[in-house]
Amino acid sequence: MATNVEALDHDHHYHPPGLQHQFDDMKQQEESVSIGMWMFLVQEIMFFGGLFTAYLVYRSRFPMAFAAGSNHLDAFWGGLNTIVLIVSSLTMALTVYYAQKGNRNLQMLFIVLTMLFGMTFLGVKVIEYTDKYNHGLVPVAGLNRKAKAPAATESGPTSTGGETHAAASSSEHGAEEHVYVNPRGEFQWTDTSLAKLAEDHHYLTEAERNGYYSNGVVDANKFRDKVRIYFWIYFAMTGLHALHMIIGLGLMAWLLFKAWRGTFSAEYYMPVEMSGLYWHFVDIVWIFLFPLLYLLGRHFMH
Amino acid sequence: MQNVDAINVEKYGRPEMNYLSNGHTVKSWLLTKDHKRIAIMYLISVSVFFLIGGTYASVIRLELLTPASDLLNTGTYNKVFTQHGIMMVFFFLIPAIPAVLGNFLLPIMIGAKDLALPRVNLLSLYIYWLGGAFALWGLMQGGVDTGWTFYTPYSTTFSNTYVMAVGLGIFINGFSSILTGLNFIVTTHTMRAPGMTWFRLPLFVWAMYATSLVMILGTPVIAITVLLLALERLAHVGIFDPTIGGDPILFQHMFWFYSHPAVYIMILPGMGVVSELISNFSRKKIFGYEFIAFSSIAIAVFGFLVWGHHLFVSGQSVYAGMVFSFLTMVVAVPSAIKVFNWTATLYKGQISYDTPMLYGLGFIGLFLIGGLTGLFLGSMGLVVHLTDTYFVIAHFHYVMVGGQVVAYLGGIHYWWPKMTGKMYSEFWGKISAMLVFVGFNLTFFPQFILGYLGMPRRYASYPEEFQVLNIFSTAGASVLAIGLVMPVIYLTKSLISGKDAGANPWMLPGLEWRTSSPPPTENFLIKPVVTWEAYDFSEENGLDIEDHLTRREVAPTI
Repeated sequence: MATNVEALDHDHHYHPPGLQHQFDDMKQQEESVSIGMWMFLVQEIMFFGGLFTAYLVYRSRFPMAFAAGSNHLDAFWGGLNTIVLIVSSLTMALTVYYAQKGNRNLQMLFIVLTMLFGMTFLGVKVIEYTDKYNHGLVPVAGLNRKAKAPAATESGPTSTGGETHAAASSSEHGAEEHVYVNPRGEFQWTDTSLAKLAEDHHYLTEAERNGYYSNGVVDANKFRDKVRIYFWIYFAMTGLHALHMIIGLGLMAWLLFKAWRGTFSAEYYMPVEMSGLYWHFVDIVWIFLFPLLYLLGRHFMH
Repeated sequence: MQNVDAINVEKYGRPEMNYLSNGHTVKSWLLTKDHKRIAIMYLISVSVFFLIGGTYASVIRLELLTPASDLLNTGTYNKVFTQHGIMMVFFFLIPAIPAVLGNFLLPIMIGAKDLALPRVNLLSLYIYWLGGAFALWGLMQGGVDTGWTFYTPYSTTFSNTYVMAVGLGIFINGFSSILTGLNFIVTTHTMRAPGMTWFRLPLFVWAMYATSLVMILGTPVIAITVLLLALERLAHVGIFDPTIGGDPILFQHMFWFYSHPAVYIMILPGMGVVSELISNFSRKKIFGYEFIAFSSIAIAVFGFLVWGHHLFVSGQSVYAGMVFSFLTMVVAVPSAIKVFNWTATLYKGQISYDTPMLYGLGFIGLFLIGGLTGLFLGSMGLVVHLTDTYFVIAHFHYVMVGGQVVAYLGGIHYWWPKMTGKMYSEFWGKISAMLVFVGFNLTFFPQFILGYLGMPRRYASYPEEFQVLNIFSTAGASVLAIGLVMPVIYLTKSLISGKDAGANPWMLPGLEWRTSSPPPTENFLIKPVVTWEAYDFSEENGLDIEDHLTRREVAPTI
């Protein structure tokens, strides 16, 4: 088939559908596009890799604070989303299959199903983000409206907002211990039981002792800051992942349009296959995110 | 013979249309998918950024003419050297050779009609413009004062300048080099002409391939690092802030994980150009082709394992430091292999001292000094004395300017006849090449001494005993500036009144010389079939060098 196309191409009359001018034949184009996509995925791995590094560094430094954060996440929603994404990978694979078969209707059906699963995932993500918002767990300054602490926090950047709830649990909080005040954010976290648990069972690390304790007692402010790093990494990772899902849905919409116009056939289906690679990659990222963010450290409280 | 025919392109007559005459509207340029036109647009863009960065450099040298900080106040000085670094590193040095010369030549050198992904190529140009626009906007709003390294927690917590805008510019710009690298890798794998095996590739292509690997694997990490920095600045969650449990050293690790390999993005392409220059202007097959090819790959791979030598005095563990120091010495080996091979190539070659070759020879000397002083800085004991002094400044300018910029200029001169179809004035070319060499050494060699004597970098004022050497340095910078402005004039003039270059002005065997100048839009009228090895100067390959050399001596230069 390749030689056939090549021979015809020399006449400059026959032009296979979708063949771009710089290529000699479809095989060369498919190979190029495929290597290109894999290279793109390699750079995506490095892109997420930076965040995974940050996660590993802080998780190994403050395991109890991260466990506390993990325990707040709802493994039910996370698990459901994992299943949703795995099923969407199946429908994506079937889309590619039917594109190769040239079956327009089944191809469109599975694109629609893939999109539905993708949107379900994002819907669940919205539910989860709303929960964080309601509990004052958004680490970005001033975004926790519902959980805003009363009084003292409104008076601008010089106020000591954010310490209000911590004042109760720490007898001598103050500027000298906690020089850095977070002037705008009102991230809320009071439960320091995991730090005490670790101390009781003698597996508190040196970094944690420095990180959670002031004068030998657990400092709720300091513990909260570490949990806040956890939630920040949580939002950064899942947010970036959700952004990739949204881009994926855009790709699916484009594929749906192309499939509806009958673009893809046994001869020309590379866009479907490449979008499929992208979709599977985004799924796999989630397969790593789910245990790291939801499951590690759950045994401490469950 | 097929080869002889191929090398005498004129026999077939010129194509009716070349890539420059194929459409004259603005739209035909802005929406082009032709790698050659995109390269020309990159050439103009990086030149603009080079001009901006160079202007900042002049201001720095003027300020340092006197010990007191009299021209600028210290805050402004911080911004000036920061912007000099950002403009030069991210918007000139990194894209210069890959996006201009690589874009133009890689497809032609392997006998392809275009890069494999022309639309992605155009996209990378637009991303570059967008990133550049953000950086320029931040600069016009008042600039940044963090140093080009953006070290935390200063950049996240204390600096009141436009860190976000410029950071966003660098973030966006990173995707431009990722896409360029991706395109080069794909093109080298799939678009080679029949007969163009991996070991017949010009060494420039090998260097581009190695550079692309670094671009793909490294750049995403700086992207995510800058993103983390921006989010930290926005939300102050403490990921890099030590007062609430964060770790500023983590930033340095992540920053240098990219930025040290990026140093190799800033030298590998130059090495590729110089391999071309040395072999072609010695008219001799390059010595140890495979060694040069694989040393490029080795540099790219080892380059990822040495970032820790930027953290010797940042509180990194001593044992980690020892490993990083050792690996730094290891990465010197492939670099040295290249220098030895270039020198061996020169031995008994028919060397002609044309402008590109002057740049090529200058590169070897300057890179040698830059590379060897790198070993000083890679050893854990000496670095305690030398860190953050002008010794470091001199070292990396020898590699980046003495290496990459000199190679870039050599490459521009070498391929200018191919890109434009016109010859520039060889006389002025040689003068400018020598001015650059002399001016460069005069600027930066005194800085080694200054650094060794203890003059710290990034200060607007200094003790009076350092003034003499600083005057030398500023004087050298003036010579360098003249040497750099001259090519702009005579190269532009060559476009108007230059002689026609012909397809193969240097009489060389490479594929790029076997098509007309400027090349047609699809590069070759007849699809090339490669039957010769790289750098094959034998007579069977159709090159009558004796005849060519005689003609050159008779023909007047200028």
